[in-house]
This record gives sequence, structure tokens and C-alpha cells, in this order.
Amino acid sequence: MPKANRRVAICGGGIFRPDLWHGENAEEGVATAYQDLLRQCPNLEADDIDAVMMSYFSDHLNQQLCMGWIIQDYLGLHNKPGYRVESGGSTPLDALINAYYMIQSGFFDVILIPGWEWMCEVDVASTNEMIASAADTDWDFPVGGYYNAYYAALEVRHMQLYGETPEDLGKIAVKNHNNSTHIPFSQWVSQRGTAPITLDDYWNSRTVCWPYRVLNNAVMSEGACCILMAAEEKVNRFTDTPMWITGVGLGTDSMRPGDRTVDFVYAGFKDEAKIYPDFVKIPKTPYPDMANFASLHVAAKRAYAQAGITNPLKEIDLMEFFAPYDGVELCLYEDLGLCGRGEGKYMIREGIVDYGGECPVQLSGGLTATGHPVGATTLYYTTFLYWQLAGKVKEMCGPDGLQVPNAKRALITGHGGTGCQGGVIIFERD
Amino acid sequence: MEEEKGLTEIKLKVRSVKRERERKYRDYPAVVDNSTAAHDFWEPIVHLGLWDIKGHQIVKGPWGGGRVEQAKKRPPREFMVIDRASFAFYSHSYGLVSPFFQGLLEGKLMGTKCPKCGTVYCPPRAHCWNPECKVADCFDNWVDLPPAGVIHTFTVQCLAAAPFEHMLPFSMGWVQIDGADTTLPMLLHIRPKEIFIGKKVNIEFMPKESRKGDLMDLYAVAAVSDEKPPEWACLQKDTKEMESVENSTKATLEFIKNRYGIDNSPEARGW
Ligand SMILES: [Zn+2]
Repeated sequence: MPKANRRVAICGGGIFRPDLWHGENAEEGVATAYQDLLRQCPNLEADDIDAVMMSYFSDHLNQQLCMGWIIQDYLGLHNKPGYRVESGGSTPLDALINAYYMIQSGFFDVILIPGWEWMCEVDVASTNEMIASAADTDWDFPVGGYYNAYYAALEVRHMQLYGETPEDLGKIAVKNHNNSTHIPFSQWVSQRGTAPITLDDYWNSRTVCWPYRVLNNAVMSEGACCILMAAEEKVNRFTDTPMWITGVGLGTDSMRPGDRTVDFVYAGFKDEAKIYPDFVKIPKTPYPDMANFASLHVAAKRAYAQAGITNPLKEIDLMEFFAPYDGVELCLYEDLGLCGRGEGKYMIREGIVDYGGECPVQLSGGLTATGHPVGATTLYYTTFLYWQLAGKVKEMCGPDGLQVPNAKRALITGHGGTGCQGGVIIFERD
Repeated sequence: MEEEKGLTEIKLKVRSVKRERERKYRDYPAVVDNSTAAHDFWEPIVHLGLWDIKGHQIVKGPWGGGRVEQAKKRPPREFMVIDRASFAFYSHSYGLVSPFFQGLLEGKLMGTKCPKCGTVYCPPRAHCWNPECKVADCFDNWVDLPPAGVIHTFTVQCLAAAPFEHMLPFSMGWVQIDGADTTLPMLLHIRPKEIFIGKKVNIEFMPKESRKGDLMDLYAVAAVSDEKPPEWACLQKDTKEMESVENSTKATLEFIKNRYGIDNSPEARGW
């Protein structure tokens, strides 16, 4: 008889590090990540796994439909219930939330979540084309076909309304790349080594789509990660340091960002739009406008409500954002309620989100430095949070690892399209 | 040499195939049909050699899990990497908002207006998304819109997806057409030093013979020529940013010239 409403925890994560290119193909990469998970959880047997929840984003990138079947077969788990979750950049986060619901409902006790993406089989311009086909192909794609541009335009609007500067975006880029140099699994480390970068490096990096320079943008990656999730009755078999899921939230917004000028379902947010600076002589539209991310705002509210959080800045020790562009990170400071609307710039200026600050964000280095093979992305950063809450960062990353002392509670986000899809998970340790 | 042979094969195929209009449309008259000829021409090209291995390389590279340094220390392995192509030719219906795209072919801009709540949509919606309107039909309620609007937001692109790469560099943005409540993405034929949020623009159309029926048929130009951006305009108020945009734009122009043999400088293409 299924037992509903029980606690659910992440019991560990296995990594096949992200890089610009791997000789191994996707199934071999996932198998390598699975081997790593088996080392982290030595009691784990195939018989323990009740279902497999697969996370990968694109069918175009590898000329292969139903790659999930290859993965289950390759791992010898092809007798298990299993299917793929897909929602753009939110894919891996939604796979985690889906597995959480399945375990919490009582139908399954232990779920394996393999995630991967092999994004570099086609040239970069074609990868961008295939990614941008997640935008509305009748209305948005035909104009440039490039998420980088769409996100740049969103950031320009936010910048014009609220007054952050390119230097603020540069400071976020420097923070994240330098955090990444402490991660020995990082794509940045593989490609560029461990030397820290400075704002001068940022100013010298080329403008891709203004205001974004090269260092503001997510990298293209190949890589895989396997997460093990279990119900409270089974957790002890796999780990002494479970990371409990205490809040989840999902949200969505319009497909086309250009329609957010009359975003009826968010009409109730109009009172939050009051802080447009007076000098902006432009048509004013309510939050989220084409600037912030309402999908993440409601997702966070839902997750906070479940976890009993009223002041996220004070009550959460560290966060990992799905921020493929640095303006997204700045907007999410606001959308997740760490500061007021338009005050995101102060979070980076005042060091609040730095290592040692009140609420470090992207200690992993994030998507712009450490890696972004879409289906694996959030699974990597969940694994890094697991190390943080288990106090294992130095064990896993070496003496230079950026361990947050006594970290108890963490947050992670998912983010798809131009904020069309958003999700938040709150993790806690005992 | 190989390439020339391929092209000859394509030309032969194009000549030898005389196709009928596709069966799926059998019971529906074609008001306009440029499509059958396009299928005749393009299908052999896009189908030719799909999945056929065009080349391969043997790459000696790192392998295995663990940290970056561990992977780099292992003796490398040889990986065989093959090259193959995938592509298809899609026939896609614009649905009930087809009149918008037919309008583009005629150089006309239209939106739909919800008969219940009065919202004017451009991009048009065939059904209203205001929850109070319960997906009300809008598709018989077209309104003509003027070829004028306001820049809602923008970016200057120095990189783009593969199909647009040869057009770089360019600016794109979302424009709120006068009288519409939503905003329409389009190219901005406006130099970076003049673009700002809130700028009034006019919408112009490509010459009739080169219109195809998508948003690339139109573009925005400045409504007021040589307009100076206001002092708060976020791109121009920072000279370092304008400099970075100009440098990157220059590098992109050079890349496009080398790769595609196309000169996209403002002097050559007029914007
Ligand atoms: Zn309506």
C-alpha cells in the first residue's frame, strides 16, 4: 500500500564532468557518472531502483529520438519503469521534482535520475539554432534565432528600468568564473586552467549580443550526472548525510516574452511595478514586463510556503541558479525575494552573493563557467549542493573547495525558454 | 571536385522530377501555390546524402571520469568521429492567423482584437489568452495597424544561429506597434549609436518580390532621422559600451566577409 506524505531525500550524485568535447558518447558518459554514484553509495544495487527518471533536452543535437531507452538499456535497468522529462532548460530540475512527487506519493521508494546532453556534435551556430527552436518558431525564432539575443534584450530592458550597469554584469561573471576555478570538475578549469580572472578580462572579452560579453554566457557542454533519490525509509541504506527536499515549486509564463506587456495571469502583480525610475519616459507595463521572471517568482513562493520560509536571504545558506546569462542571476535575486524589485545590483555590489557573503550564489561556478550540458546541468549543481550540506566540499574538491561552514539549507532553480518555465527546490540537512 | 559532382547530381534530379501537388491537399484547392515547385527543387537537395557518412577523423583525446587533472593524466585514447547530415523540408500551416502573414506579403500590418476584453494582439492571437475571456475567438476580428511603433527593448547581435549568420551584424528588438497591446520582434535597421528603449520607429517592408511571409519581411527604421538618444539611454551613456559594440561589430563584419563573401557594412547595405 503506497504511503503518501513521507520525506524524500537526495542520497548522492555521480558525475561525469562537463567539457567542450568528450570522446565518450552519451551512454558511456552516463555509465561513467553511474559508476561514480555507485562509488558514493556502495550499497546501491540495481534491485534497489524502482524507477528511472531521465533528463535530457534535445532530440536534434544527436540525431537520436528516445535516447532514454539507450540509457536504461546501457545501465542494465531496462526492466524498470522509466521515462524522460523534458522542459527546455528546466528539464533536469523538473525531472527531480517529478521523481520527488513519485516517491512522495508512495508509489516508488527509490528513483535514479540520469541526466546528460551532448551539445557539441554540430557546430556552435547550429547548436544555437537547435536550442532556439525552443522559442516560438513562427514568431520569435525567425528574427535572429538566438536565445543569447533574446536574453540580452530582456536584460537591456531590466537595465534601462532599474539602472544596473555592465560593470554589475561583469562582477557577476568574475565571481562565477573565479568560483569555478575551485571546482576540479569544471569545464572552465579544463579549458582555461585555475588562474583567477579580473574585471579587465571581462572588459576585454568580446561583446556577443549587447550587453552580454563572452564571459556572461553559458558554455556549450557535453557531460552527464546521476542522482539517487529515496524515501525516508530507504535513505539510510545509501547515505549518512541525506539532503531532504523540503519545498518544491513550479511556475510558467508566456511563450513569447514580447507578450508579457499584457500578461493577464500575472495581473495581480501590478502593485509590485511601482519602482520604475521617473526618468524612464517609456511605456510602463506591469511586472514581470520583459525584464523579470514571474515563473520563478511564483515557483519560489510555492517552494517557500512548503518549506516554511519567510525570509529567504536570512533562512537559506546558499543558492545555485539556472542562469545561462548573468542578467538572469541578477534578476533572480529580485524574483526569488532576496531583495526588492530593481535592487539586484546591490546584491553583487555589496558582496552579499560572494563566498563569505550572507547568501553565496553559484559557488559551483554555474552555467557560464563550470558547465551546461542541459539535461545534466541542475543535477551537477544539486550534487555540489549535496556536498555543501554534507560538509564534503573539501573531500570532493580538494583543500581549495569553497565549503560554506555549517550549511543547513540550500536552494536551486530551474529555468527554461525565456523564463517560460521555472522551478525551485529547497534542500535541507538534518 | 567532389562538390561539383554533387551539384550536378542535384541539378539532374531536379530536372528529372516532375511532381504533383501532394495528396494530403487533394480535396482542398490551392489559392496560391509556390510550394509544389519549392518541393521539386528543395527536396532532392535536402534529402541527398542524408545519414550518409561524409567523412571521419580519429581523435586522440582524454577519457574517463573523475577530475579534470585525473582525466588529463591518463594516456589518451583514439576516438572515431564521423560526419553525417540531417535535415528535412517542412510544410507548416500558420493556422487561423494566416491572414497576418498574407498581409505581410501585401506590405500590411494587422492585429487581432478580442471581442470580449478589447485587447489588441500583434503578434495576433486567434484566441484570447485573457482567462476571463475563456479562449474567445479573435480570428474574425482583424484590425489594421499603422506601420509605426515604439522600441520596447533591443540588442545588438554580433553572433546568431546558423541560418542568420550571413546577415550579421544586426540589431533586433521588440516593437510595440501603435494601437497594439503586445510587442512584435523584428530587425532594427538602426545604427547602435541611435537605438534606445522608447524610440519611435516606422515599419518598412522588404521589396515585394523578396517578401516570403515571415517577420523578416519587415523591419524598423528610425521615425526621426539623426535622433540623439536621451541622456539616460543605457547603451550610449557609457562610451566603453559603445566602443565594445563597435569593435565587436567590426570583427563580425570581417568574419562574414571571409566566410560568406558578403559585405554587410552600413555603406554596402544601407543600414
Ligand atoms: Zn479577451
